[in-house]
Amino acid sequence: MLTCDQYHMPTTLSEALALLRAAPEGSRLVAGATDILPWAREGRAGNVHLPAMIDLSRVGELSGYTIADGRVRLGANVVYQQFLTDDTLRRHLPCMPFCSVWFADDQIREQATLAGNVVNASPAADGTPPVLALNGEIEIAALDGETVVRRSMPVADFVKGPSRTDLQPGEIVTALTCDSLEGYGGAFEKVGQRRSLVISSVCAVACIKTDTAGEIFEDVRLALGGIGPVPVRLSDIEDMLKGQRISRELITEASAIPPARVASRSRQDYRRAVVRGFVEAAIDDALADAGAPVPAPRDREESHV
Amino acid sequence: MSDLVLELEVNDRKVRRRAEPHQRLLDFLRDDLNLTGTKEGCGAGECGTCSVFVDGKLVKSCLMPAAKAQGAKIETIEGLAGNGDLTPVQKAFHKTGASQCGYCIPGMVMAATSALRENPAADIEEIKERLGGNICRCTGYSKIFEAVEIARDVIAGKAGAAALEADGAGGSYIGNNVRRLDAPSKVSGRLRYAGDMVMPGMLHMQVLRSPHAHAAIKSIDVSEAEALPGVACVVTADDVPGEDGFGVFVHDQPIMAREKVRYVGEAVAAVAADDLLTATRALSLIKVEYEELPAVFDPEEAMEAGAPVVHDYAKDNVVKHIPVRKGDVEKGFAEADLIVEQTYETQQVEHAYLEPEAGLAYVDHDDVVTVVSPSQNITHHRHMLAKIIDRPINKVRFIMSPVGGGFGGKEDMIYQGMLALAAMKTGQPVRLVFTREESIITTAKRHPARITYRMGLKNDGRITAVSFKMISDGGAYGLSTEGVMRKAAILSCGPYDIPNVQIDTYGIYTNNTPSGAFRTFGAMQAQFATESHMDICAEKLGLDPFEIRRINMMRDGAVTHTQQMLGSVSIGEVLDAAEQSSGWEAGAPTMRGPQRSDLGGEGTRPPCTLGARFRTSDKSGRQEVA
Repeated sequence: MLTCDQYHMPTTLSEALALLRAAPEGSRLVAGATDILPWAREGRAGNVHLPAMIDLSRVGELSGYTIADGRVRLGANVVYQQFLTDDTLRRHLPCMPFCSVWFADDQIREQATLAGNVVNASPAADGTPPVLALNGEIEIAALDGETVVRRSMPVADFVKGPSRTDLQPGEIVTALTCDSLEGYGGAFEKVGQRRSLVISSVCAVACIKTDTAGEIFEDVRLALGGIGPVPVRLSDIEDMLKGQRISRELITEASAIPPARVASRSRQDYRRAVVRGFVEAAIDDALADAGAPVPAPRDREESHV
Repeated sequence: MSDLVLELEVNDRKVRRRAEPHQRLLDFLRDDLNLTGTKEGCGAGECGTCSVFVDGKLVKSCLMPAAKAQGAKIETIEGLAGNGDLTPVQKAFHKTGASQCGYCIPGMVMAATSALRENPAADIEEIKERLGGNICRCTGYSKIFEAVEIARDVIAGKAGAAALEADGAGGSYIGNNVRRLDAPSKVSGRLRYAGDMVMPGMLHMQVLRSPHAHAAIKSIDVSEAEALPGVACVVTADDVPGEDGFGVFVHDQPIMAREKVRYVGEAVAAVAADDLLTATRALSLIKVEYEELPAVFDPEEAMEAGAPVVHDYAKDNVVKHIPVRKGDVEKGFAEADLIVEQTYETQQVEHAYLEPEAGLAYVDHDDVVTVVSPSQNITHHRHMLAKIIDRPINKVRFIMSPVGGGFGGKEDMIYQGMLALAAMKTGQPVRLVFTREESIITTAKRHPARITYRMGLKNDGRITAVSFKMISDGGAYGLSTEGVMRKAAILSCGPYDIPNVQIDTYGIYTNNTPSGAFRTFGAMQAQFATESHMDICAEKLGLDPFEIRRINMMRDGAVTHTQQMLGSVSIGEVLDAAEQSSGWEAGAPTMRGPQRSDLGGEGTRPPCTLGARFRTSDKSGRQEVA
């Protein structure tokens, strides 16, 4: 059971930062709060008492998004459901609707934020691999005296390990910025123990741009989650595909490489088998989403045994 | 006292109330506003029994701090229809029989309402996807989905309101679709389960549970807990005035651990306090000194000489052994052309009914000790409790509250005794509501079984003999084990006429979570082994699996191995129907995968996927999301 002495709902960033600075040690920032409540239960953290909870969901500066100079700036309060229901976001972040539809369920997606998912730094986070593929940067604010100071860094450097990030005491994540990939096709593959409300055992994301004829890989973005302490971007596979003619042989060859990178503490053989199929499926699905012809599928049961 | 004052609108009514900073929206609705139609099934966002609308969006109220609802407009199940007519969704649930135990139904109705508000034209796949955050354990979902489709069509004007009305009973209830009498109370959230009930002056109970699988209790010191302000009493086994012990067959389980604990999660002491938080804090002040004992977790190891003894009365750890003999098994095996031996294992399974255990006990004005709980066996519980608390039977009363799913898991009196003791000790009503975790850790499970099957057959497929040995993990207490072993023995060989059989089923004590009743009561384990074995034998003999079953099936007038004469036997019709509706391709079960032509046909469903709401626009060719 989660208990706390104070529950704050600041409405401005400077108010939130001041509350955070003044809060007793052990206080926590929350956004959607969908992860902290199940965490404070028997079998996980058990009974947890926090001096203060600072709820960021009403902080105006953290809501909404803007698009400029080929980048999408997502306020930290953007929730998962927006990636499904917002036309503009779907167009600019083509992998996100597919990630979103597999994330929890419709109800939790109304509360849970992408930024919160990244900050939790679970190795199985659904949201981090897409953000990596989108060259995500994270924006962070803190107080220096009474002045709000800001810094930003690539998400790839921010997430350091299971539940470990570069976030320092007194800091609040304000936004994620991502490449706008309008015109790309997106895909997200996920496997877990049930369809809704499940943590990924493995997930894979792809964003692909082809030439007009759909014959050449112009750009490829690939990332995996659930295969080690942190989600990983597959830059070498991307380089192998970029500029090449799209063919089944090439896709199969590329998808044979990532399984070697599985470094999870459990079920490595299972994850390796899944990763190979997922990379191939993610490329196929992203091509289809881009409107490109998908090379004749191979029977994956045959090719991946 | 907290300085958090919530101002919000709930079901069109303005509310202004002080709230605790740690309260979830679920707690605020249920405890402060008495809107108990919103249920708690898991407290972790997994089940959807707590779904409510917040500013028009459906959310899980167990995952939402109440403070987040400041200034919001909330709509709960009670607000959908208010005091008026049921909504089309509610009526459709009533019509199709979508509500069985009813505990998931308020959340399910909310999710269905949300799905149709978000997309009034949602097709069946999209409806399934949008209801994906809500779990039901009774219906298998078909009736729920059927109801949502009817409601959708009525709301859209594609079907008349008559589609929501009951089908004509046609003069007979048999073979006709008849509405349940209790459904309106369930679809509207008005039905109160034990955990929804409150009484003036009611205390809240929390239970201290054993962290050890097997340990002697050297001492229990409750003095600090009793001294905590707000604590009304602490009860332990020492408070039992009569003859302690309950169980469906053997009364081997004390109300709370007595002298030793036998499994992780066994109740050791219970606190009744003014509020839940105080009761929880008091638990941490109880000091229990344990001396760990060697424990046994595998039933076959428990049967070996020198194994740790779980109960002194059963030195061999055997709860029950059921032997059945028919004919001459040695002769039967000698006549066989083929003998096939295999071992089958089934695992422990939790019932996972949506309503966690809950009970409310009080001593009434006539000194009648009364327990309200979703017990599946109140008369037996009443008799056992009378003995345990040493009161005449007319001074003990059990009231069965609506059962939010049982499936056998609520047959055991594992918490009602503690509640009665606390009510007797304090003179106040006492309520205990299990968390989901508590329910999973402490309550009976389906018996895990290891079955060694030996079958002799002639080359033409006739079975000449069977030897069937089932060793079941009964866990730490007897509960329903004896009955489960008996039924497993009776149904062990399935609906097959076998001349020579030797059956032994054993229920064994271990230090695992107790096993008990669970749908089929032992038959599932036996049938898994029998039917798997039939397929394996068919493959070895090159026979069609349907054929080997038809050769051996019982026919009208057959006598079972327990000497029951069967007037009519329907297995032949069942096989015909299964063969036809599955589109079965005749032949031995040796053909695999792509060789078969009867896979993936009509009526089969591809593996689960999501994205039913994604569509490609006809006009722009671009992706749209419903």
